Order: sequence, then C-alpha cells, then structure tokens
Amino acid sequence: MSPPISGPGSHNRWPSDLPRIRFETSDREIEFEDGQDVNLLRLSIRHDCGLPWKCASGLCGTDRILIVEGAEHLSEPRRRERERLGELLDDGVRLACQTYASGSVTVVWDPTQRGIDEDSAAGKRLKAQWLAPEPDGEESR
Amino acid sequence: MTELLSSDEFRAALEDAMTGREAKDASFSRAWAEGRLERKHFARWAENHYHYVGPFADYLAYIYANTPDSATDAKDFLLQNMWEEEISDVRHTDLLIQFAEVCGTTREAVEDPSNITAVTRGLQSWCYAVAMREHFVVATAALVVGLESQVPSIYRKQLPPLVDPDVYGFTEEETEFFDLHITSDEIHGERGYQIVLKYADTPELQQRCIDITRDGADMRFAYTKALYDTYVAPDLGAWESQPVAV
Ligand code: FES
Repeated sequence: MSPPISGPGSHNRWPSDLPRIRFETSDREIEFEDGQDVNLLRLSIRHDCGLPWKCASGLCGTDRILIVEGAEHLSEPRRRERERLGELLDDGVRLACQTYASGSVTVVWDPTQRGIDEDSAAGKRLKAQWLAPEPDGEESR
Repeated sequence: MTELLSSDEFRAALEDAMTGREAKDASFSRAWAEGRLERKHFARWAENHYHYVGPFADYLAYIYANTPDSATDAKDFLLQNMWEEEISDVRHTDLLIQFAEVCGTTREAVEDPSNITAVTRGLQSWCYAVAMREHFVVATAALVVGLESQVPSIYRKQLPPLVDPDVYGFTEEETEFFDLHITSDEIHGERGYQIVLKYADTPELQQRCIDITRDGADMRFAYTKALYDTYVAPDLGAWESQPVAV
C-alpha cells in the first residue's frame, strides 16, 4: 500500500498521477501540476517541509540536497550552483534554491547541515569588502 | 469583505488580483521575449529600472521601521531581503549597471534620474509612499507580493533570448542580474506571501492587501508598457500594430 500524499488540498488521499517532490528526510510529499516546473526550496518553504536554507542566492550552500531519484527532471545547474558545489555536483548534490523540477524527484539532506564554508569566492569578496577602509568622502555604492 | 478568508482563499485572492495585469504580458516584456528589441532599448530599460529597484532596500527599511517588534519573522525577512540586495555578494544594482554598460550606456547615465520616464518616477514614488505610510503587512503585500513576486515569471521569459546567440547573444556573466533574481525572488515572493497570510488577520486588512496587490501589479504593468511606448514605439511602431508572434 502506498503512503498517503501530503500537499495542498491533498491530505490523506491516495497518490495521483501528478508529479511530486518527495522530501524524504522530513517524510513529506508535495504534488504539483503537470507541465509546471517548481523551485525546490520555494516548495519546501511553502509547505513547511523543513529543508534548511539561508541566503536563497546560491551562496551559502545551506540548502544542499542529495538527489535520490528523478535527477533527469531537474534544471541544469546554474553558474552560482556550479561555483558553490564544485565536484559535489558530480556526487548528485544540488542546491534547492537554484533548482527547478519538472517531474517527480526524491531528495534527502542532513537536518543539521549549515553553510558549506566561508572560504568561497563570495565569502572572500565579502570579507574584503567589509574589512576594506572606505576612502574618504567616497560612497560605497 | 466581512469574513476572514482562509489562508488558501486569501492566497488565491492575492494571485487573482494580479491576473491580467502581470508585467510579463506588457508590450515591452513581450517584445523582449520575442527577440524584437535592440541593445539600445535594453540600455534605456536599465536606466529606468535602476531607479525603480535601486532604492528597494530603502523602501524595505521604511517597512522594517513600521513593523512591530512582536513580528520578528517579518522583520527578519525584511532585513534579509535588504542584506541580499546590497551586501550579500555583488551589489544587485552593480549587476544591473554591468548589463547596462554592455548595452552601450554608462554608470553615470544609469544613475542620472533625469534619464527616466515620468511613469518610472511615479512607480518609485508610489513605492516610497506605500512603504512609509501603509501598515507593514499592506506595504509588504504591495512591494513583495504585487511587485517582487512577479520577477521570476518575467525574467524566466526574458533570460533565454538574452543568452541565445541567435537572438540577443549576451554571455552568462553579462546577464547575471536576471539569473540571480529568477531564483532569489522565488524565495522572497514566497516568504512575502507567508508574512501577508500570517499578519493580515482581519477582513479589513486582508481586503487592503488584495487591493494594494492589484495596484502594485497595475503600477508595474504601466511602468513596463511606458518603456515600450517611449523607447521602442518610435522604432517599431505602436505595439498594437505589431504582427502577432507565432
Ligand atoms: S540557501 Fe544559500 S545556497 Fe541556497
């Protein structure tokens, strides 16, 4: 017997043919309309599926997920995601905030995970920007 | 409206308020997505867009100041949104200027407020007025739901032709402004909806949010249409006279 689906307006009913994202770590499944593509982090936030996140911009890596099934339904990695994840991409890891799904996908994550590190290119740029003295009379913008 | 809408009903009403007036369907957006524009038109767009989105953190700061301490999640959302716009990485307006420069204009021209249409000036003023004067949840509905949440649907149509070598032929780096906002505004939009759904807790506040979301969508549509009428129509003719894209 298949587990009941949880999602908008679909509590406690049997699985339909609609595509769905399975957030395995929090044991949630969310259906979406056929023909749509959905941002994985947005879906998790909207339906309280518990995926950790921070920046929503592909910078911190807090929302990294391992794709268990359905990688073929995901959008191509964007530039920030490629930069942020590097070889983790080859291991099946994606950033939920940067990834759209157009079909059924199953993902897992470590519920205690935090950002990848502070030594990324973006982290170094930020440190340089914050720690640099402002030239007199010059605006930072 | 005399009864409080459920969360699902209220979200549907906010979405409905934008239907038929989304900026992705305005003439300038459609001409862009259909490959009809030239780089000089994008330059004019960037000069205007800077004065709408450039002060976005300023608008949000006014809302932040009007938000009670008890609404910690709403305050944190606003602060995070401001941080992302300005200092989380490359300043977003610098990415816009980078695109503008590739299109043949300059930082000075982009920053010069005399290079914008009266409608852009009106949009900026409306954003300031709403942020300063409205209840924080109504202002969030206006600026985040009515305006910012539309961004992914607009740029997801506009980015592919920008980087298509057979259409506009920009590089991935040159168009980072668009790519960044497709994803980050998905999340801002969703968090904005959640704040509005949570804190618009009377029928009156819900109605005000619905009305101002509609106004926001109207403002963004008018701004986008005015870009076509001002900068593109002299080259291509009125939008209504354009052949229908197949
Ligand atoms: S939330 Fe920071 S990279 Fe996705």
